[in-house]
Amino acid sequence: MSTRWYPIYQRGNPQLRVFLPNFWMKLIRPTEEQPPNVVTFSVSMEMTKYDVRSYLEKIYKLPVVDVRTRIALGETKKDQTYGYITKKDDVKLAYVTLPREESFVFPDFFSEKAEKQAQEEKSLDESKAGFRRFLDRNKKRPGTPGWFSI
Amino acid sequence: MLKFNRVSQLRTTYKRCLAGQSQLQLNPTDAEPAYPEIQDTSFKARKQKDAANWHEEIRQVPTVEEKMIKINIPRYYGFKVVDFNDSKIPYNALPLTQHYTRTVLEDLPSKSAKTQDPEQKEQPSEDALFTAARGDVIDALEFAHDYYKHLEKQPNSAEHSPVERERILTQIIVEQLNRALLQSLSEEYKHLDEVEVDYNPRHEAFWAVGGVDPPKNVQKSKKGREWQKEMANESVDRLVQYTGAPYLALRHRKQLSPWKTEAESENHELSKQLPRFKHDPRTLGYSTKHQHATNVPGYWPRGNEHNFGLLSFQSRAHLQLRPKSYGEQDMLEALHSLAIKSSYAWLLAQANYNGFNTYNELTYPMNTQTVITNGREWSFYEYQLNTLLLHGNNVDGNPRVNFCRGTKPLPLYAEISASGKCVDFNDNALRHLLNFYANVPSIQRSIGEQQPYVASNVSGYENAEQRDFISKTFKYLASNRPRHLELPEIYLWEKLYKIDNNNRAMEAKRRFFELDINPWQRTLDTHDKEYVPRALRPDVPKNKNRFKKTYYP
Repeated sequence: MSTRWYPIYQRGNPQLRVFLPNFWMKLIRPTEEQPPNVVTFSVSMEMTKYDVRSYLEKIYKLPVVDVRTRIALGETKKDQTYGYITKKDDVKLAYVTLPREESFVFPDFFSEKAEKQAQEEKSLDESKAGFRRFLDRNKKRPGTPGWFSI
Repeated sequence: MLKFNRVSQLRTTYKRCLAGQSQLQLNPTDAEPAYPEIQDTSFKARKQKDAANWHEEIRQVPTVEEKMIKINIPRYYGFKVVDFNDSKIPYNALPLTQHYTRTVLEDLPSKSAKTQDPEQKEQPSEDALFTAARGDVIDALEFAHDYYKHLEKQPNSAEHSPVERERILTQIIVEQLNRALLQSLSEEYKHLDEVEVDYNPRHEAFWAVGGVDPPKNVQKSKKGREWQKEMANESVDRLVQYTGAPYLALRHRKQLSPWKTEAESENHELSKQLPRFKHDPRTLGYSTKHQHATNVPGYWPRGNEHNFGLLSFQSRAHLQLRPKSYGEQDMLEALHSLAIKSSYAWLLAQANYNGFNTYNELTYPMNTQTVITNGREWSFYEYQLNTLLLHGNNVDGNPRVNFCRGTKPLPLYAEISASGKCVDFNDNALRHLLNFYANVPSIQRSIGEQQPYVASNVSGYENAEQRDFISKTFKYLASNRPRHLELPEIYLWEKLYKIDNNNRAMEAKRRFFELDINPWQRTLDTHDKEYVPRALRPDVPKNKNRFKKTYYP
């Protein structure tokens, strides 16, 4: 269901339109530890608990036991140049409880990437440390080439 | 002169020292010096010691009222507590309830099944008693429904929600049944003559629970300090406040006899198998609030009378509000958890009036019986309180556990017909109820054994001013009223422009949050003392005794 008001057709307007719903739900990673059968969503501000429940039940056929929602205050930020304050929009969060035997783990898409990055950083650190050692060794004999060693 | 004095002093001390040394050398027989015990001076150990000292101080406080004031001293505006009440049970609440009350749940062994067994011979008097009671109960039920119908027909009766309707009807049924049963049983069971009946009493209890993950802000603040980083994930105690009002509660001056022995109650294996709920209780749907710690078993503390619960009738009207999607199984578990928390809280409040509290362990088990009913469906529970220590490390270290055993909801009757007659009366449910009434409280302890941590009572204090102060403070704390001056408020513009973003750096810092004052940390005794008018202190100088003394323990 959409609560969006579409403009009344005027002659000359395009005939074909795409009607997009303004009900959307975004899975988000919970900031605090919670039981495995609770899933956190960021949802459209217009959605009520009942909307969230029927959205998941009717479209995704999920067994929803309970829905709790709250509205989180958006972050504020000071402009670096002019010093005025801007605020991000508030978001509605929905905590959806599934039956107790279900469990949901937030998918970790970027673990490989993070691992790779960590490895790269490690090798970079190692080479940096090696260079530091070399400098240290040659402190008293500046200008000696790298292959020259006792 | 002065210099000379100091020099002479130094000389004498030096001489004394020398003399002492020589004495030591002269006395070789004192070969084994008695060293004081080496104390663990790590941060954690010091914290634990401080806590233990505080608990010991509470134990030493002589009266029940002062103990309660002492527990409340750390917070002027009340503790942040988990709101554990009898009218909200979220989905899957049983593990949390068991963890927060350290309770093992069992099935009620059915005595009634025995008595129903036709092969076993019943005592004739018991059978006659049952049939008499049965008739009375059916009459009472029919009368209650009739009266409720009459109430509904009143011209100025308001429209009630289904929950309220159930509450009103069940209140009438429970009161009538209680009246009928007391009347028909009291001849056989003399203890029923002595019971004290509380209608809609206040049952409140406060306790601390360990083994729960720390909240985000605590974790964050600890992670910000290098030396506290490793303690960031250690569990932090949660304070719990139960608030409830059963339909009816019966009290007696003697205690019910326990149904678990000491050995059964002290079982490390069993305590390890108890469910744990490590997450924040808000993730389940419980809320938090700020409140003074209160322990109220339905009456004010007083000597040695009717201090022990016999039976309480809890409401299940609010269970109607739970969505159907929770399911049948969860409904049953909700009943169990309601029984567990209401029984635990009532017993804890009774224990509190005998000088025990969440920091000072019980010295004897306490028992109660709980009935949850909506008039038609009745569930019966028995509870044995063995331990009150749930805070800190006790979640792992305390071998004692509490026990609860109960039945499924049993229908007392199928329906009340249109003509007002009771249809399909269930004898089994009535037998359970009769067993609860017939359970004779038999244990009576000496006052020293019953209240080992209570040294005196407030009325015994000779100082009238002190008596007055203690009773006033205690009653204020127990009243759950807000402070007459509210907490200072942070306006939204201040949060945006002063706290979250430093946009007004040049302004004078005068507000409490700019002066590093946390109003929640204010202690109970930080307040201006009460002024005594000049006319009331005629014999003392003008500037003396201008303020009333305070007597915080």
